Amino acid sequence: MVFLYTRRMHNSDPSAAAAVSDPVIRVEALAKEYRVYDKPEGLAASVRSLFHRTSRVVEAVKGVDLTVGRGEFVALLGPNGAGKTTLLKLLSGIITPSRGTARVLGHVPWERADDFRRRFALVMGQRNQLWWDLPAAESFRLHQEIYRIEPSRFERTRDELVDMLGVRRLILQPVRELSLGERMKLELVAALLHEPEVLFLDEPTIGLDVVAQHTIHEFLRGVQSRRRMTVVLTTHYMKDVAALCERVVVITRGDILYDGSLAEIVDRFTTHKIVTLDLDEVPDQATIERFGFPCECRGPQVIMRIDRNRIAEVLPEILGSAGVRDVSVEDVPLEEIVAELFRSDARDAAASAGAAS
Amino acid sequence: MNRYVAIFLTFARACLVRDMTFRANFILECVTSLGWMSMNLAFYLLVFTFTPEIGKGTGWSKEPFFAFVATGLIINSIVQAFFMPSAEELTEMVRTGGLDAVLVQPLDAQFLLSMHRVDFSALANGLVGVGLLAWAVPRLDQPPPPVAWLLYPILIVCGVAILYGFVIMLAAATILMGRNQSLYDFWFYITNFSRYPAEIYSGPWGGPLRMLCTFVIPILLVVNVPARVIAQPLTGQTWIGVAAAVIAAAASLVASRIVFQRAIAAYRSASS
Repeated sequence: MVFLYTRRMHNSDPSAAAAVSDPVIRVEALAKEYRVYDKPEGLAASVRSLFHRTSRVVEAVKGVDLTVGRGEFVALLGPNGAGKTTLLKLLSGIITPSRGTARVLGHVPWERADDFRRRFALVMGQRNQLWWDLPAAESFRLHQEIYRIEPSRFERTRDELVDMLGVRRLILQPVRELSLGERMKLELVAALLHEPEVLFLDEPTIGLDVVAQHTIHEFLRGVQSRRRMTVVLTTHYMKDVAALCERVVVITRGDILYDGSLAEIVDRFTTHKIVTLDLDEVPDQATIERFGFPCECRGPQVIMRIDRNRIAEVLPEILGSAGVRDVSVEDVPLEEIVAELFRSDARDAAASAGAAS
Repeated sequence: MNRYVAIFLTFARACLVRDMTFRANFILECVTSLGWMSMNLAFYLLVFTFTPEIGKGTGWSKEPFFAFVATGLIINSIVQAFFMPSAEELTEMVRTGGLDAVLVQPLDAQFLLSMHRVDFSALANGLVGVGLLAWAVPRLDQPPPPVAWLLYPILIVCGVAILYGFVIMLAAATILMGRNQSLYDFWFYITNFSRYPAEIYSGPWGGPLRMLCTFVIPILLVVNVPARVIAQPLTGQTWIGVAAAVIAAAASLVASRIVFQRAIAAYRSASS
């Protein structure tokens, strides 16, 4: 059990926006509601619904405030259905909000000005944007036409990107013959050909093996720092976040639960650290009890959760115990912190719903 | 404008490359399409063994009627080759969220969505149409005057524009409804009316139907007006038809643009 406390933090304070230098994304009270129709079960109810449908309004994004500065690499985290992808779709102008304002690179995204659309890119890990039956080189060429990229610049950028990802030999192969990881690398090349200032990534490493994930992390880190590109990433993989992002925005139920640095999320939402001891032999019950903390034993390895504030005090004592060969002190895994964050928010929601009824 | 031409040529080239990759499918599509068209032509030949003219005094004897059929083949093959495949794919794009990728590109979405797929096999019918026209026109009682030759391609474009407007409005309905798999069926029912000379719609039921399909859903202007210009003597009624076709084409394009823009504004995108 991870002990967390949660507090909804909003950047509605204008000073928070001002604190971000050179903001390229400014969002104020942005909300998106959908009307969904309930589909009743059974034939008779289905026939009735032809004449009378019942509907309800779902708030996918509830008045979000967010400011992102140039060159920031921001992760949007949240459980499924939290509103992360909806927020990305609003910022990229795919859908129109129900309320609120947003400016990306000085433009209102849903006005879909060509000048705006030339300056950003969107990559969706679960959707294929390259021509399926043709080699990626054909899609790249089309991209050159659509984005009006000068031939010499196009060739230079394409060569640079395919070499960075090691996919030069793949660009002449039909996309349908490529693996998921290879396809995603080529999707990224296509998205970056026009050298966007803002890149929206929606679960870019979904379903990829660790090698492909690592390659993509290295690539994104390199390109982002070199071009000083602003990147907003949604993901469920904490490895993506740890490898790439300094800032984390946690979204649950369409609202921002936390907005701050990755280091701070660990400090703020965990009360203890994980201490792992490698002992000479499998400990008996008396040895375990002597440590004085809840322990999990895996053979000669003992894993303890110790209050962060007491680490300095108890560690010398533990190390002084007989038979300790090695020790490691780590933060609670990010996955665990975020999962608990989501769970505690869901509990809060259930509690407030219960109180309301 | 040049950029749009270049992009369209890139689409067309890519589609040709893809068609050539699946050659057997391409050939089969051509053969199926030509087979269906040949059966239709054989049926019309059969009809003309029983009657010298479709409708007494209408002027649609065998050669003018085949010029009419040829005109229909040319217009329909242009629409089927350049617009219909994209419109059909739009249904799937809306359902799966593929439309998202289109909307973020710095290009007119209507252009991209209505022209990104080209079905070259559909042009086979158009080529036969050109051949049929070349056969029928020299056999007409009166050769078409120069002005008819000038108007004919313009009216072909108008016919294509009217049908394009319908395709786009039907496709836009897909965006609004989330799913519209009856697009092609609905298209078939509508265009069915345009395949025959307007004169066959007469009498207590035919008259109102003709008015409906001329002024409300101007589908009867699509083939009838260019075919009449090339295959029959130019009369005052022909000129009224020409004006109506031009107006209907412009109205169809404007209406399709308005409907499409509204549909895109209401786009909800699919969940990922």
